[in-house]
Amino acid sequence: MVKKRSPIAQQALDFYLQQAQQIAQTSQNPFLSKVRQQAQERFVEQAFPTAKDEDWKYSKLSGFLAQHFSQQGISQPVANWQAWMPSFPVIKLVWVDGHFCETLSDELSQLPAGVLLESFADALQANTELGGLFANQDTVLAEPFASLNSMLFQDGMVLEVAANVTLSLPIFVLHLQTQPLHHSVLRQRVSVGENAEVTLIERYVSLQSQGAGCVNVVTEIELGKHARVQQILLQEQNRDSFYFNNQFIYQAEASQFTTFYGAIGSQLSRHQNHLFMDGEQIENQQNSACIGLGAQTVDSRTCTHHNQAKGFSRQLHKFVLEDQAIGVFDGMIRVDQQAQKTDGQMDNKNLLLSDFAKMNTKPKLEIYADDVKCSHGSASGQIDKNQIFYLQARGIHKADALRMITQAFLLEPAEVVRQEPIRRWVMERLALALQQTHLP
Amino acid sequence: MLLNIENLQAQIDEKVILKGLNLQVNAGEVHAIMGPNGAGKSTLASVLAGREDYEVSAGAVDFDGEDLLALDPEERARKGLFLAFQYPVEIPGVSNKLFMQTAVNAVRQERGLPALDMFDFDEFAKERIALLEMRADLLERSVNVGFSGGEKKRNDIFQMALLEPKLCIMDETDSGLDIDALRLVANGVNALRSPQRSFIVVTHYQRLLDYIKPDHVHVLYDGRIIKSGGFELALELEKNGYDEIIQQYQNA
Ligand SMILES: Nc1ncnc2c1ncn2[C@@H]1O[C@H](COP(=O)(O)OP(=O)(O)OP(=O)(O)O)[C@@H](O)[C@H]1O
Ligand SMILES: [Mg+2]
Repeated sequence: MVKKRSPIAQQALDFYLQQAQQIAQTSQNPFLSKVRQQAQERFVEQAFPTAKDEDWKYSKLSGFLAQHFSQQGISQPVANWQAWMPSFPVIKLVWVDGHFCETLSDELSQLPAGVLLESFADALQANTELGGLFANQDTVLAEPFASLNSMLFQDGMVLEVAANVTLSLPIFVLHLQTQPLHHSVLRQRVSVGENAEVTLIERYVSLQSQGAGCVNVVTEIELGKHARVQQILLQEQNRDSFYFNNQFIYQAEASQFTTFYGAIGSQLSRHQNHLFMDGEQIENQQNSACIGLGAQTVDSRTCTHHNQAKGFSRQLHKFVLEDQAIGVFDGMIRVDQQAQKTDGQMDNKNLLLSDFAKMNTKPKLEIYADDVKCSHGSASGQIDKNQIFYLQARGIHKADALRMITQAFLLEPAEVVRQEPIRRWVMERLALALQQTHLP
Repeated sequence: MLLNIENLQAQIDEKVILKGLNLQVNAGEVHAIMGPNGAGKSTLASVLAGREDYEVSAGAVDFDGEDLLALDPEERARKGLFLAFQYPVEIPGVSNKLFMQTAVNAVRQERGLPALDMFDFDEFAKERIALLEMRADLLERSVNVGFSGGEKKRNDIFQMALLEPKLCIMDETDSGLDIDALRLVANGVNALRSPQRSFIVVTHYQRLLDYIKPDHVHVLYDGRIIKSGGFELALELEKNGYDEIIQQYQNA
């Protein structure tokens, strides 16, 4: 079936197909060519979703389609990268406009034993056999922006942590965008061996305070048996920019996965977790804290597949919306017939600071097993007047009361971050972002 | 005189609730206010604390030489007016400790005292928590979230003990307290009594008054104080109910 497109959507599609063809010409590897070819075919079928597509009803792409984002271009020099670094010790890795930057990153040969890290571009060069890097393409290509990613990506990250290795330092991945109209298309593959443990922090920022850029990420995370992974992701691009991230997480038996997503920037941001619990006794926690101001659209969504017995999943997603901002939460917990004794819980809570801000929320359960404990809840509202008065009645100024209540509301999902310095850092970023609101 | 309420009239959405209420409270006195459900007791407490929902349509309130009604709620609190709520509010995510440290320092600032740092505040809070035999871990939790009904009430009295107000208004603090908690709250109140500090205690029961022995007892009915007396009035009410007094008032 040929999809009907508006002229603007057609132009955008033609543009990205042309970019894909240029990239395809540079590739020698037949396997990679096939990956890209498949992606192109899927993308042509999918591009571009409109408000008629249930999953895209509230995340409108018109702003994205009106501009064409190119991977060509010359990066601006990065002078003050230190400003983006946290104060606690990390292993630092920097990508500039979607390309790994060796000079700004820590020395890769000095990484702790059992940790292998290379740029995705290097991984493509080094291996003739690429099957391992693209084992889950069928799943990946279900998402339009992941298909776009698959036909355009050139670089990204491959991280492998060997079995039984515990990384004491967090890996800090800084993605800088330096130019307007630039497209950073990133492919990240993280595999964590049996009983290994790692904390991964990702931060997406624009060096310029204005001018739209676009970041498109596909991240795959594989956890071996008993592996423990904690991921913290802050999206702080400027408010003209676009952000699409499709994360595919595959958990093996008794592994533990925690992810926290903080959405602060971008005109339109869409962060998706596709989480597959492919073993028994798996635990995971997916949280997000999202701020929407002005005309921002903030979309955070999860799809959690309980595929095996005794899985435990928890989620807390909170939005604070002001002005005409639009928030979107879409969460699905799917419990397979085999997944008895599943314990799944998903909560979405939203605070609307203006009458014009709008929250669209859609929590869903799809349960095929009979012995399960699953729940979901969602609530949107304004700050409770009784709460404000209670604080005022104890001598706290109204402005401070509003701020205390809003901040406490937004920061709760970040409490899952286990290490105190990281948690404090994340909370500071979110609190700082809240200062952009019109709260008195 | 610490508090002088003259001809106070207040309404909410056109509904007149306080219909010309007079009350005088001197420093160091304990006043009990009793009265049937819906009489306007909580409304009086809310208007004094500055809740915006109520519109004051007539009357004046002088608090320690100032025009109380001209002040914001937080200024009233800073100047020493305290309301223990009939229904204390839950505030998820705000720790009880941070909340009270902020509140105590707001009041200290008003009194020209230096702010307490975390350690000094901890010290101070421990002392007051012991006074009410409250569980110390309640301080670490979010304000009132997951507290039992009685714990919420006690948390409010704990706040009162920390803020050391001049005028304590307690709105049915005794409702929902078990016998031991009631005694502890009463002990807390008695410990706070001083020649400078006054109390307005709203209650339905004589039990609390047995412990804290009010100087004056008032009956509030239909938005007015219709009878005042000493402790013996509370005993009379406990025995005979409000009917007789209300009838006398309506016939007068
Ligand atoms: N927000 C409101 N909107 C409408 N009516 C209200 C509101 N608040 C109070 N009232 C009404 O005002 C009257 C007085 O209420 P108030 O809460 O002051 O009574 P009370 O004496 O404290 O009663 P109780 O002993 O049951 O606590 C009641 O009839 C009540 O329904
Ligand atoms: Mg009442």
